[in-house]
Amino acid sequence: MIEQIVFYSLSALVLLSALAVVLHKNTVHSSLFLGLSLAGVAGLFASLGADFLFAAQIMVYVSGIAVLVMFVVMLLGRASDLHLRQVNEFWMAALLICVIASAGLLRIAGSYAGTAASAAPVPSTAVIGKLFLGDYLLPFELVSLILLAALLGAVFFSHSERAEAAK
Amino acid sequence: MTLAHYMTVSALLFLIGVFGALTRRNIIGVLMSIELMFNAANLNLAAFDRFLHPAGAVGQTLAIFTMTVAAAEIVVGLALLLAIYRNTDTTYVEDFNLLKG
Repeated sequence: MIEQIVFYSLSALVLLSALAVVLHKNTVHSSLFLGLSLAGVAGLFASLGADFLFAAQIMVYVSGIAVLVMFVVMLLGRASDLHLRQVNEFWMAALLICVIASAGLLRIAGSYAGTAASAAPVPSTAVIGKLFLGDYLLPFELVSLILLAALLGAVFFSHSERAEAAK
Repeated sequence: MTLAHYMTVSALLFLIGVFGALTRRNIIGVLMSIELMFNAANLNLAAFDRFLHPAGAVGQTLAIFTMTVAAAEIVVGLALLLAIYRNTDTTYVEDFNLLKG
C-alpha cells in the first residue's frame, strides 16, 4: 500500500513538473521545475532500491546540473523574454509525433504488466564499485577522459576575446 | 508495482522531453528538455535492473555512465551557448542561422 502511494505521488511530481519545464513561459521558473523533476526521479530511484543512483542523482543533477542551468538562465535572461512566445509554430506536429510515439511506447510497457519484483532490493553500491573496477574498467577510464575534454571545452568556449583584448 | 508502471512513467517523461526539445524557442529550454530525456533513459535502466536482473547491477552502472556523459554534455552545451550569445546577442534557436545559405 505504502509502495503504491510513494510511487504514484513521485510519478505525479516528476511528470507534472516536467510538463511545467516544457510549457512554462518564464525560463527561470522552468529551471526551478527542472530541479524539482530531477529530485522526483531521484525519489523513484530510491523506490527502485538503487541507492547509489539516488545519491548520484541528487549530487550530479539536482545540485549540479539544475543549479548550472539556473545560473545560465539568470545570466542570459531578459525582461522582454516574458512577453515573447516561447513555443514555435510546429507544436501541433510535435504533439502528433509524441502521441504516435506514446502509443508504441505504452504498448511495449504494457507487455511487461505482469513483471513484479521477485525479491526485496539489496544495496548495490558495493556491486557497482566492483563492476567499475572489473568488467567496466575501460569505459570507467574513458569517461574520465570525456570529463577532462568537457572541462577543457567549457573553458575554451566560454573564454572571451574581449577579455583577452582588454589585457 | 510492476515493471510496466515504471516504463510508463519513463516513456511519458521521455515524450515530454521530446515535445520540449521540438517546440521550445529558447535554447536553454531545449537543453533542459534533453536533460529530461536522459533522466527517462536512466529511470528505465534502473527499473530493468530491479525487475529483470535483481542479482547484478549492470543497469545501474550504465545509468551512472549516462549521468556522467549528460553532465559533460550540459557543461559544453552551456559554454557553447554563452559563446553564441556573445556573438549573436540572442538565445532563440531560429536566430541561429549563420550557416544557412
